[in-house]
Order: sequence, then structure tokens, then C-alpha cells
Amino acid sequence: MRLERHSSNLIDYTQPLSFVFNNKTYKGFKGDTLASALIANDVIYYARSFKYGRKRGIIGAGVEEPNALVSLEIGGRYTPNMKATEVMLYNGLSAVSSSNPNSIDFRAMIKPLHRFMPAGFYYKTFIKQKFWSIVEDRLRSLSGFSKAPSENDKDVYDHIFQHSEVLVIGGGVAGMSSALEVLSKSKNNRVILVDERENLGGELTNEFATDQSAALWYQETKDRLLEFRDEENSRLKILSSATAYAWYDHNYVEVLQTNATGQSMTHKGVQLARKLIHKIRTKEVILATGAHERPMLFETNDLANIMLCQSVRRYINEFNVVAGKEIILYGNNDSIYNTAIDLINHNIKPKVIDVRTSGNESETVIQAKDLGIEVIQGFAVRKARGKSRITGIEISKVEMQAKPPHWKSEWRMSKDVQILSCDLLATSGGFNPVVHLDCHCGGKTYFDNNSQSFLPQKERKNRQVCGAVNSIGYWKDAIIDAKNKAQLTLHSLSENSQINPQNLSNKSLNYFNIDHFFTPLEILNRPKVFIDLQNDVTTRDISLSISEGYRSIEHIKRYTAMGFGTDQGKTGNINGIAVAAKFLDSPMSEVGTTTFRPAYTGVDFGAMAGREIGDFFDPQRFTTIHDSHVINGAEFEVVGQWYRPWYYPKDGESMDQAVNRECRAVRNSLGMMDASTLGKIDIQGEDAREFLSRVYTNAWMKLAPGSCRYGLMCNEKGMIIDDGVSTCINDNHFIMTTTTGGAASVYSTLEMWLQTEWSHLDVHLSSITDQFSTVAVVGPNARELMKKLCQDVDFESQNFKFMQWRPGTVCGVKARIMRISFSGELAYEINTEANYGRFIWDEVAREGTEWNITPYGTESMHVLRAEKGFIIVGQDTDGSMTPMDVNMNWILAKNKPFSYIGRRSFSISALNADDRLQLVGLLTKDEQFVLPEGAHIISNKGISIGYVTSSYFSPALERSIALAQLKGGLSKISQTVIVKIVQEKQGLKEVPCEVSSSIFYDINGEKGDGNE
Amino acid sequence: MFSINCPYCKESRDQNEFSPAGEAFVARPENPEALSDEEWADYVFYRTNHKGDHWEQWVHTSGCRKYFLVKRSTITHEVIEEATFAEVYSEKIS
Repeated sequence: MRLERHSSNLIDYTQPLSFVFNNKTYKGFKGDTLASALIANDVIYYARSFKYGRKRGIIGAGVEEPNALVSLEIGGRYTPNMKATEVMLYNGLSAVSSSNPNSIDFRAMIKPLHRFMPAGFYYKTFIKQKFWSIVEDRLRSLSGFSKAPSENDKDVYDHIFQHSEVLVIGGGVAGMSSALEVLSKSKNNRVILVDERENLGGELTNEFATDQSAALWYQETKDRLLEFRDEENSRLKILSSATAYAWYDHNYVEVLQTNATGQSMTHKGVQLARKLIHKIRTKEVILATGAHERPMLFETNDLANIMLCQSVRRYINEFNVVAGKEIILYGNNDSIYNTAIDLINHNIKPKVIDVRTSGNESETVIQAKDLGIEVIQGFAVRKARGKSRITGIEISKVEMQAKPPHWKSEWRMSKDVQILSCDLLATSGGFNPVVHLDCHCGGKTYFDNNSQSFLPQKERKNRQVCGAVNSIGYWKDAIIDAKNKAQLTLHSLSENSQINPQNLSNKSLNYFNIDHFFTPLEILNRPKVFIDLQNDVTTRDISLSISEGYRSIEHIKRYTAMGFGTDQGKTGNINGIAVAAKFLDSPMSEVGTTTFRPAYTGVDFGAMAGREIGDFFDPQRFTTIHDSHVINGAEFEVVGQWYRPWYYPKDGESMDQAVNRECRAVRNSLGMMDASTLGKIDIQGEDAREFLSRVYTNAWMKLAPGSCRYGLMCNEKGMIIDDGVSTCINDNHFIMTTTTGGAASVYSTLEMWLQTEWSHLDVHLSSITDQFSTVAVVGPNARELMKKLCQDVDFESQNFKFMQWRPGTVCGVKARIMRISFSGELAYEINTEANYGRFIWDEVAREGTEWNITPYGTESMHVLRAEKGFIIVGQDTDGSMTPMDVNMNWILAKNKPFSYIGRRSFSISALNADDRLQLVGLLTKDEQFVLPEGAHIISNKGISIGYVTSSYFSPALERSIALAQLKGGLSKISQTVIVKIVQEKQGLKEVPCEVSSSIFYDINGEKGDGNE
Repeated sequence: MFSINCPYCKESRDQNEFSPAGEAFVARPENPEALSDEEWADYVFYRTNHKGDHWEQWVHTSGCRKYFLVKRSTITHEVIEEATFAEVYSEKIS
């Protein structure tokens, strides 16, 4: 319900908002979170639990909330698994529980069976069963999370790079004062202040109602910060509604910021980002991340309306709402008294139950007593009463006796039980400093006995901790601590800066001065004492995992699934560690924490992707001839980011028909192809020749200017990594071509050899792939066309031989013409400056009409080269194939003085074994049947002995052909093997094939000279 | 994500501009043919996987494309030093 208005509220009552939750319409105000608005409307149940389907209420007020998971909106704006406590209310918001508490639930129906379903139940029961695969799906669909989105996200997300000298994480008291101290004590340091809430101040807002000085300090500090933010050449950026969720190496922090409304927004017709990721690189980090409260443990502590004490306090002070009227506060530290005092100020009279016995009380306790609050000291809650929501509690007298060794505590509980009624129970079992971020890249924690919590390691390079994360609870002490740490930060940035540390007041009001963890076995051994509410992990699950032999907290966590949920155990994990310590009979410092990994809170996939979606997902590369391909109706395929014409369908042709036509044109008359995408590396220098013979397996020393040569490149392991033709321009100048996809990695590898091993060689590399355009003219009539196009080159066969090149003028454009072939036909490649590419292409097409010149794409290129048995590196080889494996021993030079890259490995016995996969041809007995690529060749024992790497229907041979890697294949030529394939809806099929040479067409190479 | 100071560009840039290129000072044997299979395998496959300060090669892929050396702690990922090959080798010789 909503309380009477109060000055401390952050609610704007002038702006009422309407929203829908689980199909019912409610009213709230601007400034509300979804959670606070629902509490104002007396909503009790928010979700069902993950495993047992128990109805759950809300327990927290921020990112720690484990229960109230909702999905927002529908369709393209659907967002799953948001915490209702994190969602800022806007008009028209629509939310649905991730697991509806109001519908009938199968998990809840089998309630009598729950006690037979401890940790590991599903695995123990089903994992060895054959029907697990059937059961698994159904079980998973029962779990308590939202469905995955089914539509594309309609929102826009973005990334921003930020740089600062100091990054302050947390905008509470400590964060605000450390940021201000850095700004006012230095002239040049840029500061970024990040806070997950909409308004600065953090938990200090809670003090405003009772402590005037807190409100004053806040206003003054905030004003000064805003002055710094708004001045010219501002050094301060304040990121609000922003969560630092990951801290990576070298002080690189990622922050997810939600736009203030949480809605999709447009500005002047442009859609604005719904969420931003700030990628911050900073020199120094000040962590002021605060602390999360942990709940007390007792039986059925998961009933609705059992909340965290500070959250109740925050709901009262910030949002002016409270979830009950008859309120009991229960805990082991002074925070329960502060909440009690705030309630009294709102005319609600709570009861306080303190585990600690009377005596040695702080000012706050005395103040609460003076206000007439009923305080029951030395009692503990055994059990919460109620079916799904709390109606009362059972309490007993309790006494703690510390035993040697010092960490041991023995709680003695009286058997007498008193019953108190209530409709809201708020508990506080102490505070867990938010150490998560500090641990993301190597920070350690230690267990501090005074505060009974894990604190971040004391000293770390370029990082300070202050405030509650440093176990300082009193806000005035947090300010002193923050200023001291800001000075240390400045000192780390510049040794000249002064350090004048002030002492803390050590005022007794300190939430971190708490008693030992309250873990009496009488309670821990009861059923339904929940530790992790989201994953339904109980104290009994932990005890079971320990009795089954698990010792490491990491294993206990995984066995019980403690802390696995979207809340990542923010409320439960430390209690879980305390319980495990109790059952293990070890100190908590020895049990330790589980590992904290990014992300601290959920990050939208959309935000991670940012703008790098759709056309921006990957760079797209187009040749200068591209537009002509589009006009010709080409279908494209993407090869190493290049858009290459795949085939050119004409008049509604299918792909097979088009490829068939293109291949026949090349074999019978004339084809043309855009080969501009092949990688081209310009190699110059006195040692260029020597360099080539080091990186290629064959000989290069005698290659004369005017000639070209095919080369095969291996790595030191002896495996093929690339191939291509290199051209000798002159003795000190070569042009290497690489595969389209391998261009970048080959260039990089070559640079590595030059820079790291052979820096004495005079060789210079430069990538010229984009600078040249290549049009291949291929087919028996190629020479006739070339004569027509270029008058200053002698194309006669004996004067311009295969594997030679000539400079010439093609249609008035300076060109290098190479006579090389990837199809076995007579072919010339015309290389010109890239900008002439389109012109040359169109001229070639026009002049070639008398031979019906046909443009062909990569698919026909593949068929033509497969007919000739030319390999494609990366398709017919996979990084584990030697030149011998692909039957290319002829390319391995024997007498090169320098032991070229890979050579030594060829003599290793493993690379010469008889049963290595070797490249062979496969001819199906059914000539029309084309094998699917990737299909396995099966031995008569049913084991794979190889696989198909390339497979096509050859128009020239009018039958199917395939290349395959087959164990010992070269010694199996003309034997019959079985290829086993899976046919859709028809099951397995065995296809008998004959092993053949990998050259299928023009085996003697008689076609390469074209028509005479 | 590391921040690496390229000794050629003399600027600290994000790791995604760079590519790692393995352990440093793994020299290619001068006469591979004279080595036993084990010795050759040692060069091709085996690395020290050192725990602590470790010299490694990086290349400024999206920058100057130069290979250089980085001394990095494999425990904390702290970069202790970036240097050109020339700088390191002249130091080693002197």
C-alpha cells in the first residue's frame, strides 16, 4: 500500500502512470519501479519458483532480487527475465511474470513429492535412462524462466568508447564524495561516475527522513558535482541507470546504461538507443559498490512477504510504499532498528526481534527502545507460518556461545516456542560487500571476522575501495574513507599529490558490527530452509552434497545449483557458504567464495551486438565489376567477405541448368570470369626470389622474367596452407596470388617470417588485392578474342606459352596479361588497374559476342577445376594434409639449399604412414547420382575411412564426379568403396563408387592450347 | 581486454587492434635437416607455457602491421614492457 506523502520520496505524484501486470491494469507514479508500483497496489505474488513451483513474493529492491522475474512487452520489444525491482515504470508498460503465480502449476501439484527431490534428483533419476532425451525437454519447459524472444528485436543499441583517469563505480555516499575529492583536488583528471540507480545517493536517501544533515550533505555534494559536470571542458561524466557489469584486464570496464525511461525513444525521427554499452578504459578505479543485505535463515523462509530489511526501508523512503501493516523486523545487526524507526515515523508500529541478547547496545537500539518499539532480544525465528504468504512466526529464545577455535559458534535454542502474528517480516542477516567486480580480473577476497563478510583484498594496483564495500556502514565514515581513498588514487596518478588521511569516527552505528552467522543446527536441519530462492536450494541440499562427498564450495555450488540463477546468488551465496562451513566444520575463510565472473547483472544480447547487426555485421567487399554482375542477374556467394558471382541464371534457369550452360560454354567456346578477388601480394627487393623459394615448396631461382609459376605453401608442420600462381615481373619484383579466403592470413604469415626470422632479407611486401582487377578469358577461342582486344602482344602459342605473361594494351588500357588456367582450357587473365575493371569486363563481353562469350561464376569454376583435379585449399584440404596426401609430390623441390618452410616435417614417419587420408577421385556407379559433399566413406566394418570433399555433376563428362579424402586412397585406385549418405525422410543409403585418379577430364592435358 | 603500447606507433591501443603471435625467442633452427624428429618437434610444437613474466610476440594487425615483443605476466596479465626486436636484441648483446 502507498503511505502518506513524505519529503524524502523520489516519486513524482503529479505524473500518474498506468500499466499492466499479468493482464491486470494498475496505477503508479513517475519514479516508481515496477516492483514499488505493484507493492503500492498490494500485489503479493510475482512468480513461481524454479524447481518446486512455489509461489513467491518480492524480497529485494534492486539487482539482488531473486524472485520477481518478469518479461516486458511483446513481439519485437519483448525482453525476458527482467527483475521487477530494476524496471522503471513508464506509461503503458506491460509485464508478465516469467512463471505465472496465479495459474495451475505442475510443479506445485506434486508438492507431496518435493521432499524426495533433493539436489541432483533429476540427474540421479533420469541420466542413465534411455528416455532422458524425451524427459529433458519437458523438464526444462517446466523451469521458471521467461520464454526466449521469438521475433527480431525492434530496438536500437549502441556502444561508446570512454576514457578517464579515474572511474568511480557506485554513486552512493562513498562514490559521490570520492569523485568530488578527485575533481576538486586535481586540475586535469577526468572522472566518470557510474551508478545503477536513476538518482545519485544510493542508500543515503534512507537517512534523509531522520537525519537532516544527510539531506543537506547530499544536496550540497550533488550540486557541486553537477557544477563540475556542466562546466566548460567538463572533466566529469555521470552515467546514471548504468551498471558496471564487467571489469577486464588493464582497467577496462564495461557499463550497461538504460535510457532513463526504459522505453524506446525517437528524436527527430531517429530511433535512439534503448541501451548503451560504455567501454571504459581508465587509469584508476575507485570501487564504491556498496553491499547487499543477506536474509536470515529459518523454516519456510520463502513465503511471500518475507523481505530484506533494507529493501523495506528503501520502499518506505524512496517510493513511499510498504507491503504490510503488521510488521516484524528480525535480524542480527542494527539495520533492523533503523527500519523500525522509519516505520514509526510513518505511524506503523513494528516489532523487532534481535538474535543478540540485551546489553552493550548502540545509540540506534536505545533510540528505538525510547520510541516505544517493542524489542525482543535474544530470540530467533524458527519458522514462518502461512500457506503461501506469511501470517505469523514461531520464535524461541536463543543464546550463542563462541567456542575455541574463535570461528566456531554454538547456538543454543530453547525448545519453548512462542507464536507472533504478522503480515510482513523483514530480515537482516548482515551485509555482503559487492566484491564481484573486483574479482572479475584477479582480485581476491578475504573473510573479515568483524563484519562477518568477504571483503576485497586490501591492496591492489590502480584500485581503491571505499564505503560499504569496504565494510563501512556509517555514512559519515564512508565520506572520510572515500576522501582518503581519493587521495591515494591521486597519489597513484601523480606522486606529488599530498596524502592527509583522516581517522574514521568509529561510531557504534555500524551495520558491519554484527554477530556470528546465525546457523543453529536445529534450524539448518529443518526442511524448506531456502538459501537460493531462485533455484530452490535448501540447507538440506547443501548438507546432502557434503554427505555425498563434495568438499569444495565450487563443487557444492554446481551440485546444488546454488547461485546459478539470473540473480547469481546475490542474496543467497554467502549464506550458503556459511551453511556449508557449518556442515563441513571449517571456518568460512577456508571454505572461501565461488568464483565471480562477468557479467555482474544480465546484459541484453541486443546491447552486446550494438550496431554490428545486419549489413554492419561483417564488412562486405565488392569488385569494381560488381554492378555489371548485378545487371547480368548473378547470384552471389560470400568468400572471405567478397561478394563473388556464384552463377548467372538466364530466363528462369535453375542453378544446375545455369552451371551446365556456363561449363559447356567454357569447354566448347568461350567464358569469362571476374577473378579480381584472388589475393595479390606485391613482392619486391633483391632477395624476393630467395624469399619465394623459402615459403613455397618448389624451385623459384630460375623463373625468368615474363614467366609465372604455380606454388604450394605449407606451414612448419608440413601441412598445406595456401596455393597460387606467382609472376616474375623482373628479378627483384614478383606478384604472388593467394586464395581469396587466405589472402589476409598468408600476407600476415609472410610478414611474420620477414620481420621475425629473416629481417636481413631485402624483401618488401604490399597487399595489392584491391588495386588490380582481373578478368579471365577462358576457352578454346580465347586466343582469337585476345588478338581482337590487344594488338601489341604476340599471342601465338609458341611465342606466348602457357605460364607466361606479357605487358600489353587492352582496349587502350595498360595491362598485364597472364596465360594461366584453372580450368584446363586456354585462358588469359587480364590484369589492369582496378578502376578500369568494369570497362575491360564490358569490352570483353562485347567483343566476345561472336563466340557467344559466357560469364561464369564460382560454381562453374569449381566444376571445371574439379574435372581437372585441381584442389581448392580449404575445401579439398583442411589443414592436416601434406602435399604428398594430395598426390603432389612433384611440387616438392629436392635440391634447394635453404630448408624451406615445412620441408623438415615431410620426413617425419607419421606424415608418411600408408593409412593417411589421400586425395582421390570417386566415380559413382550410378553416373547420374551426385554425392553430397561431406558424406563419409565407410569400411566394411562400418567405420569411416574418409569423406567426400568436392562433388559435382560434370557437363563435359555427362556424369557425376567427386574428390575425396580416403585412407590409403592412392593405393586403392579402381577399387570399389561404399559412401553412406543420409537422405531426407528416406534414411540411410549406401552408394557404391569406384576410386579413380583425381583427374577426370583431358587427362593428358591436350586442351590447354585452345583452337588452332 | 589488454591495452598495448605499440613500440612503433608509440600509442596505447586496445587489444583488438593486435594479434598474438606466440612465444618470443623461438628461433627457427638453422639446419632443420640435421635435427632429430624430437628436436624438430620441440621447435614446431612445444612451448614453455611459462608462469610469470613472459616474452611474447604480437603484431599490430590493424595498425602498422609490425611484429614486436611484449613482456607480460601470465599470472596478472600485466604488460611490463613492449619493445621492438631491435631494442631487445641490442640489449641482449650488450
